[in-house]
Amino acid sequence: MNGLMLIARREIVTQVRTKGFVIGLLVTGLLVAAVSFLPTIMGGDSYTLGTVNSQQLPLQQAAPDTEFEWRTFPDEEAAKQAVLDGDVDAVLVDDARVLTDGEIDSELGVLMQSVNREVRLGAAGVNIPPLQVQSVGADAQYEGARTGIAVVLVLVLFMLLMGQVTMVAMGVVEEKGSRIVEILLSAVRPWQLLGGKIAGLGVVGLINMVTILAVGLLATSASGLSADFPPGIAGLVAGVLVWFVLGYVFFATLSAALASLVSRQEEVNTVLTPLTMTVMLTYFVSFYITTDPTGTLATVMSFVPPFSSMVMPVRMAATEVPLWQVGVSMAAMLLAVAAVLAIGAKVYARAVLRTGARLKLTDVLRAK
Amino acid sequence: MLEISDLRKSFAGGPDAPGGKVALDGISFTVRPGEMYGFVGANGAGKTTTMRIVMGVLQADSGEVRWQGRPLGYDDRRRFGYMPEERGLYQKMKVIEQIEYFGRLQGLSAQAAKKSATDLIERLGLVERRNDAVQALSLGNQQRVQLAVALVHDPAVLVLDEPFSGLDPIAVDTLATALQERCRGGVPVIFSSHQLELVERLCDSVGIVSGGRMVATGTVADLRGAESNTLRVVVRDPAHGWADGLPGTVTVRGDRHILQTADVDDQEVLRRAMKAGHVEYFGVEQPTLTEIFKEAVA
Ligand SMILES: Nc1ncnc2c1ncn2[C@@H]1O[C@H](COP(=O)(O)OP(=O)(O)OP(=O)(O)O)[C@@H](O)[C@H]1O
Ligand SMILES: [Mg+2]
Repeated sequence: MNGLMLIARREIVTQVRTKGFVIGLLVTGLLVAAVSFLPTIMGGDSYTLGTVNSQQLPLQQAAPDTEFEWRTFPDEEAAKQAVLDGDVDAVLVDDARVLTDGEIDSELGVLMQSVNREVRLGAAGVNIPPLQVQSVGADAQYEGARTGIAVVLVLVLFMLLMGQVTMVAMGVVEEKGSRIVEILLSAVRPWQLLGGKIAGLGVVGLINMVTILAVGLLATSASGLSADFPPGIAGLVAGVLVWFVLGYVFFATLSAALASLVSRQEEVNTVLTPLTMTVMLTYFVSFYITTDPTGTLATVMSFVPPFSSMVMPVRMAATEVPLWQVGVSMAAMLLAVAAVLAIGAKVYARAVLRTGARLKLTDVLRAK
Repeated sequence: MLEISDLRKSFAGGPDAPGGKVALDGISFTVRPGEMYGFVGANGAGKTTTMRIVMGVLQADSGEVRWQGRPLGYDDRRRFGYMPEERGLYQKMKVIEQIEYFGRLQGLSAQAAKKSATDLIERLGLVERRNDAVQALSLGNQQRVQLAVALVHDPAVLVLDEPFSGLDPIAVDTLATALQERCRGGVPVIFSSHQLELVERLCDSVGIVSGGRMVATGTVADLRGAESNTLRVVVRDPAHGWADGLPGTVTVRGDRHILQTADVDDQEVLRRAMKAGHVEYFGVEQPTLTEIFKEAVA
């Protein structure tokens, strides 16, 4: 096994064995599962209705996605009590009045009024053809689910990226500060050490990512939420993984290069500040884009590395993106990753053996 | 054979040394197979800098390190064992895993690394601590682990920066024995130390470095040869003025006269002393390495 693989394996084994990793995995797994069940539990669109001396209204026909449960009450007194106890949302009395506790749920109100009107008109022989709704946007049917997935995705991508990138920096400083690098670099080359560390911690990040995606898919199909998912969710998941890897390699390499400038853990935060800011900015832009995935900002930012690594998957989740755009954006990101790898590896190799005071990036780049 | 020739290195000037600091000013020496080479010098003389250059973790401004007649390359260095001055181990890793890991990095198979690590742990008296995290070990025990890391891949050359510092006398013996074994196997061993008696006892050759220059190098005997040996004579109750005309000094302690002299006919001195009184001691005294060192760096 070559040096890079050995180093990557050590990183994975060390991380996976820690309590933090196991607990983190459990917590995120539970969180994702909870989020997948939340809409079902809150279950907004279901009503319990009652009748006193009335016909049930054919509400189901008018609102096929909503659930209605009907109860019959012997008299108005019993119905009132049930309304006040919150057992029923509304009671229809004598086909003429509706009893509620305070203001009626507006959606339910409109629905009952219009269905009532229709029934009466139908009885009088008037037939109104329902309005035909036609979407001119893409798959408007899935918009809600798409936005939901995009929001969750932004959060997960951000948390994992930030976590792993910080790990890379701390690992680099641990080895530099304790001078382990002196022995390591008499056995392996700097790029092997750097590559092994980035690869190893990346695999740990991927384990997290795959767990989250798998739990999410399983839980949403168990909760029935996945019925609302747009088609091609598998492609989206694969795309997310690829974009995660690209974004991670970009930021992790920068992180390692910056961290190699300092020798003490306390200095890591300071030296990483520009990087942290960039990741944060990427996160905010992506988050904003979940609210406006078809806007100009979304389109432009999904081409600019490194922002594209988070914006593009979010855009892909939130709306349909032409394939050529994904291709161009990915090519640009790949170029950026290659550039960062070249420069980052150089900085790392030059700086990691120079312990002591914090080095200046410009000095390191200028040195022969 | 490891040849170090004319290494020069200066460090960029900081606030305290604006012009830059010359750390090495032409260091040259050779270590033969099976030779134990002691590298001594005052603090800041340039020992660590030299060793770092040999191990390739620092680049010399000029000069060359050659191994078996060729410029020392990356693949050769992988077969070297190195103990840096500032010890470096993963604090949270277990002793046995750590030694194995470095063995593998230096090219051993999983099986060979395990076997070698187990052997070393036994030999260096770490059996009880094998599954402890390094951070739970005392400094001396951490140092044994560090040594195991340097030895695990059966290195072709050993470069050890102050391997004896901080060890108890028993551990010093264990380490000395381990090094002597490697040496007998034909491995050149170079180590730096401030414990000169130890260097004198263990080393075939010694290099004294001062201010980035090699001020003396050779076998301990060679270095002694360069210094003149002192003849020391102790006579009780001698006749007064018995040593008149001889070079050197006479110290009087009670009824004993102590003569220290050099470059004389020793038989003539002995005859004179016996005639003058009761000779209690007569011998040639060799300077210790400490004396040679002080003389050399003065
Ligand atoms: N990274 C560095 N930057 C600037 N100067 C350095 C650096 N490393 C070493 N020096 C200087 O080079 C000189 C030689 O240092 P070196 O560490 O080789 O000495 P040494 O012989 O190992 O000393 P000691 O016995 O104290 O370990 C010293 O004057 C030191 O200040
Ligand atoms: Mg030193």
